[in-house]
Amino acid sequence: MDFAGAFSPANLVFLMDGLYITLIVAFVSIILSFIIGVVVGVIRYAEVPVLSPVMFFLVELIRNLPLLLIIFFVRFALPEIGIKLGLITAAIAALTVFEAAMIAEIVRGGLAAVDKGQIEAARSSGLSSFQTLWHIVLPQGLRHMVPPLVSQFISLLKDTSLATIVALPELMHNAKIVMGQKESYTIPILLMVALMYFVVNYLLSLVSRRLEHKTV
Amino acid sequence: MMKIKSVKWVSLLLVAALFVIAGCGNNNTGNAGGGNTAGESTDSAAVAKIKERGKLLVGVKYDTRLFGLKDPASGNVEGFDIDISKAIAKHILGDENAIELKEVTSKTRIPMLNNGEIDMVVATMTITEERKKEVDFSDVYFQAGQSLLVKKGSPITGLESVTKDTKILGSKGATSIKNIKEKVPGITVLEFDNYQDAFAALKAGQGDALTTDDAILYGMASQDEGYEVVGEPFTDEPYGIAIQKGNTDVVQAVNDTLTELKANGEYDAIYTKWIGKAPAK
Repeated sequence: MDFAGAFSPANLVFLMDGLYITLIVAFVSIILSFIIGVVVGVIRYAEVPVLSPVMFFLVELIRNLPLLLIIFFVRFALPEIGIKLGLITAAIAALTVFEAAMIAEIVRGGLAAVDKGQIEAARSSGLSSFQTLWHIVLPQGLRHMVPPLVSQFISLLKDTSLATIVALPELMHNAKIVMGQKESYTIPILLMVALMYFVVNYLLSLVSRRLEHKTV
Repeated sequence: MMKIKSVKWVSLLLVAALFVIAGCGNNNTGNAGGGNTAGESTDSAAVAKIKERGKLLVGVKYDTRLFGLKDPASGNVEGFDIDISKAIAKHILGDENAIELKEVTSKTRIPMLNNGEIDMVVATMTITEERKKEVDFSDVYFQAGQSLLVKKGSPITGLESVTKDTKILGSKGATSIKNIKEKVPGITVLEFDNYQDAFAALKAGQGDALTTDDAILYGMASQDEGYEVVGEPFTDEPYGIAIQKGNTDVVQAVNDTLTELKANGEYDAIYTKWIGKAPAK
């Protein structure tokens, strides 16, 4: 174990470059998959004719595929039909599609957990079904969703490391390159990378805990 | 369901349209290649395309010691594979720096080659019958083989001194474990998740020798002077440069480069620079 050599400024900067890519990819994917996931989840919940079954089919299809397969599909199958994406865009697209399907299920579950009496009360006091959804069901449902959503975001952040396989220069990828320099760097670098992932994800859980206290 | 069906048809049509467009594109570049017969024109097209671009796109590894490793400090990728790639760029374009390296992994190198993102793969790739169905290979540019890494002064000097009682260390899932068990029936092999762990175990005295491709073993020996690679390789792992199927002109250019490098001694110089000894004749 060579901590001093492993943590040379050049190596640390290189790891930070990787962390930066990880965070960018995760952040953009979280935003996009949340928006898409909420829309799809609401459509699934609202049981719109035609649209809901189609969404059901897509969500089930994507949810039951390995993320790695989706990453490969976006990186290598899409270019064959003329859709060429950069490495980072491809990673964001793959993660967004996969995580949106997961989030859609969380959202649907959260909405379904809202007490039926609430809906009946809203409807009988004259609110339209959209108004009921927007003012009554969604605000209450989102509250139930905070903890599972945050765990999903945490796993999304960790899932970015899967894109190492298509050589996305994220944290794990850069760690592998630094470890390639010297065998004695393996343990120090893995510890450092673990610390980096932990700090970022722990901050996310702290935020989630605060949100829960606020909303509940 | 109607919706899904129509989406399917639209995408099928799109794919068909793209094929037509791609086909036209190929014909055009074929003509631009300037050959008289159809066969010749496609043959010279790939090298012509590289010349037109003025840059050779090479897929290399970024995380493999001695062959292709990125230096975090300088950002440069260095190794045996890189030096060979530069020599090919010099041969085709007259400038060893007219090159763009793209990172590949063992999972992405064939798709990237077939997508046309890179002109060739120079990435410790073993020539196998299976792979020959998907890509064309150059002549062997590095003769690797399974070998043994031991502590200097060890009584083990090659495969012949390995007996049933020798404790061998290896990496899980690698063919090297199967190979040594075939060569020395009844031998015990301690398996590790990766080479780094196996090397750490060798240093800790958990075994007598570590076995895998000599190319990897030389990388380990270069990290620690107390260890050396012993004996002749006892399996055959010929590394080749992979080129998109049908680009025979590129294969020819690469083979010409290799012949040239071997004739003028530059190959030996590159080999010695990275591996630390001259190649076996």
